[in-house]
Amino acid sequence: MPDLNVDEMPSGTSVPVPAKGVSPEVPDFAFDPTDPWTETFQKGLERAGLSGKRIYEVGIGTGTNVAFLLRMCGAAHVSGSDLDPRLVVLAERNVRSLAPEKANLFHPVRGAVSLIDTEEARARIAETDVIIACLPQVGDPGDRRLTAFRKAQAVELPEGAGEKADDHIAHYYPWAAFDEYPFNSVGLGLNEALLHRIRDHAPTAQVIMNFGCRIGTDIIFELFEANGFRPEKLHSQIVRQDAGTDISFFVMLEKALRGTGLEKDLVCAFFADEGALRPLSASEAQDLLDRDPDTPLYHEVCVIRAVPVAA
Amino acid sequence: MEVTNAIDCNGLSAAPTLLRIKQALVGLVDDALPLEILVDADCDRDRLRRSLGLQGDAVRLVSRPQ
Repeated sequence: MPDLNVDEMPSGTSVPVPAKGVSPEVPDFAFDPTDPWTETFQKGLERAGLSGKRIYEVGIGTGTNVAFLLRMCGAAHVSGSDLDPRLVVLAERNVRSLAPEKANLFHPVRGAVSLIDTEEARARIAETDVIIACLPQVGDPGDRRLTAFRKAQAVELPEGAGEKADDHIAHYYPWAAFDEYPFNSVGLGLNEALLHRIRDHAPTAQVIMNFGCRIGTDIIFELFEANGFRPEKLHSQIVRQDAGTDISFFVMLEKALRGTGLEKDLVCAFFADEGALRPLSASEAQDLLDRDPDTPLYHEVCVIRAVPVAA
Repeated sequence: MEVTNAIDCNGLSAAPTLLRIKQALVGLVDDALPLEILVDADCDRDRLRRSLGLQGDAVRLVSRPQ
């Protein structure tokens, strides 16, 4: 894999799409860094003013954000960890390749780390100015309790949605394991668990997180406010949902509210067009997919910065 | 009031609170009822009970003292 010549790139230039002939190594178990989610995240990071900041990424994946933070954002140093221990090894290789002159500023926490649940990760977080993350917002389709709830709403899991792809943990989280967190009810339990840990171990740190906004941005803002953070949107864009993505999680939430008088309080946010002019609920989006699985659907992805209110 | 084994819904607005209650009730056996639901002090309990319908009998809404 050839190196990028970073000296030729103006400061602040976004590099979500690798330069010609250069790309991070991306095996099947890793989230694709050319995905529009990554592009959105990196544009948000660019706007966050991270020069000189000490950063920790929860879920470093391929290391593409680490390289971006070091090369384009002027981060003082970046630490990071991942639930999949193979990804830390991959990230180190990719950072050496994509940001060779700054690779010594990357301090990975090796091994399998759930959120920041190791001593080393917690120690690193305690010395961090900014924590960044893009975590799954959909419960594992195979989760026993989620399956029971799905059946209670008479929502079927689409064919193939329960099969575990190599990058399964990049998209889904063990829903029942995070049920102590109130926002787990709408798929934000893993994200809320991280906020709790940050509050405990890095109470003055800022948080920058990338979200799919299919559940609606209002409720994502509620998540931060309920956990003692003041959120602001740094960047947002409409992205096309990957073909074959299972949206039944959102459909069952909407169905569970039918007939309760609260239907309008939570309507998932899909769109039929790239311009986001034709909104669709999850149920309407599912109807379109049932008629034609290749129907293009869109949703917002946004980057939120949250500052602890008490800091 | 001491609350044990409660489902924590603090910080949630009405819709996600209702979803959390419905999710908690799925598969719960009768002798585990009523389920204690911890809600914010300013939660509109009447509205929540109306939204729960018949399931309202299966829960007890409680708040931490201010």
